[in-house]
Amino acid sequence: MNAIETTKLTKYYGKSRGIVDVDMTVSEGEIFGFIGPNGAGKSTTIRTLLGLIYPTSGSATIFGKDVIKRGPEIRQEVGYLPSEVFYYDDMRAIDLLRYSASFYNRSTKAIEKRIRYLADLLDLDLKKKIDDLSYGNKKKVGIIQGLAHEPKLIILDEPTGGLDPLIQQQFFNLLKEENGKGATVLFSSHILGEVQKLCDRVAIIKEGTIIEVEQIKTLLENSTKRFKLETVTAPDASAFEIGGVSDLAVAGHAVSFLYRGHINDVTQMLAKLDLADLLVEEPDLEEIFMHYYQKGDGR
Amino acid sequence: MNVYLRELRAYRRSTIIWAASLSGLVVVFMSLYPAFTNDLAAVKKVFDQFPQVLLTALNLSSTAFFTVNGFYGYLLTFAGLAAAIQAMNIGTGIISKEVSGKTADFLLSKPTTRSRVITAKLAAALTSIVISDVVFWAVSYAAALLVSKDPFDAATFFLMSLTLLLVQLMFVALGALFAVSLPKIKSVISVSLPTVFTFYIIGMIGDVLDNDSLRYISPFKFYNTTYIITNVRLDGTFLLIEAAFLAVAIAASYVIYVKKDVRASV
Repeated sequence: MNAIETTKLTKYYGKSRGIVDVDMTVSEGEIFGFIGPNGAGKSTTIRTLLGLIYPTSGSATIFGKDVIKRGPEIRQEVGYLPSEVFYYDDMRAIDLLRYSASFYNRSTKAIEKRIRYLADLLDLDLKKKIDDLSYGNKKKVGIIQGLAHEPKLIILDEPTGGLDPLIQQQFFNLLKEENGKGATVLFSSHILGEVQKLCDRVAIIKEGTIIEVEQIKTLLENSTKRFKLETVTAPDASAFEIGGVSDLAVAGHAVSFLYRGHINDVTQMLAKLDLADLLVEEPDLEEIFMHYYQKGDGR
Repeated sequence: MNVYLRELRAYRRSTIIWAASLSGLVVVFMSLYPAFTNDLAAVKKVFDQFPQVLLTALNLSSTAFFTVNGFYGYLLTFAGLAAAIQAMNIGTGIISKEVSGKTADFLLSKPTTRSRVITAKLAAALTSIVISDVVFWAVSYAAALLVSKDPFDAATFFLMSLTLLLVQLMFVALGALFAVSLPKIKSVISVSLPTVFTFYIIGMIGDVLDNDSLRYISPFKFYNTTYIITNVRLDGTFLLIEAAFLAVAIAASYVIYVKKDVRASV
């Protein structure tokens, strides 16, 4: 059974486009990345899955159940963490988490124990008022309320904003741990790096439409990296002409080019040079999109 | 049940404050009763010098004014205004705060339905209002017993008291309807005060112009204290109108709330 399945899912806000004909399948037990720039429709898709907004047409199921007809039943098994978290300022963190727990048909004791465990792990003071928590700490409350009931499906909508790198790492480990226990994860982001670290497969969404679903491995092989290097002696441009190199610029000792292909090929090429400095940059999303757009045009 | 309890707790302070303020109002007002009635003839002479229009606008034309029930009924016209503000505040606020506080995402992504959420919230609003009303009634009755030299009809007294709740119910329902219909309410007061005062002024104009049809528009004029004092019952026509209004407003609130999109908080 698939954890998530959408069929021609479409949402218009009045006349403005949310998503159009989104077909997406997430298998049980996988960590599925959902990547695209802001405004592409990631949140719209996720909010439809959660029953917060209603689709204009098309349908979606979670664990085989229709998200509109059987919303409450589905949400028993779902943990959700939005990009920006807002809670009741008058509550303490522990009150909020207990309130959250009260919605789930789990043993209070078990959830309480897990809240303590997660708070410990993330280093969160549960006695503090929500109002007095920093943004990053509110986010931790968000993580705990999303994971305390051990959901079978974890839905994360750009969850890492405001988390410092150490907590972010811990959070990723936590997700992997949950995944190891069988939980499915839907992870939306506009940062390729974090999707790379975590996900098995990834869907790329742009302007409301899914333009590609790929194994993360394939995506990376096809992805572009920018190399910037400085050599000791002025190099010959021909030294860089291997398959996959584009946008080559040689200016004295400084060389810059884009590379797409197996990383070993390029390192072997670089090994023959006498380098003074080397910078390899993550391709940004735009570059990946460019790749898919070009491919789309070719069809 | 969890949402209901959470809301009751969240409104605990407001419930206490409203109950205390309304009770304070009635204690101060009823303590003036002996002063008004000790020298009836003199007070009546003073009243006679006021223009009739002013007496009508201030609801002072009733001859029953100088009885405990009449005096209390007069207080209720003002207490009703305050109570209506309380009712509209809670009716609007209890629903709109999830949007203005951007907590709707949290609440509605939990395993519950929207109709369960709105039921719990309306029930909590009702509970809060009933609690403050019961306190108000008890204090009023005690005050009336203290200041009254002659016995007065308790049934009339409590029927009049009940109108406070009946008016509040309409404003809770109206507030809920506003909360689900308006896209984003930043300040509850800015919605509730103008609404309540508009209806209050409509009722006042109806009195001054002696226009009976305006009575049908202003909830404040549904249950006339003079009518209750004379007949010892509530006006059935208006009970029916109220029941119909409540049914429509609440049903509409449910339908709108269940169907509407909860947009991302920006």
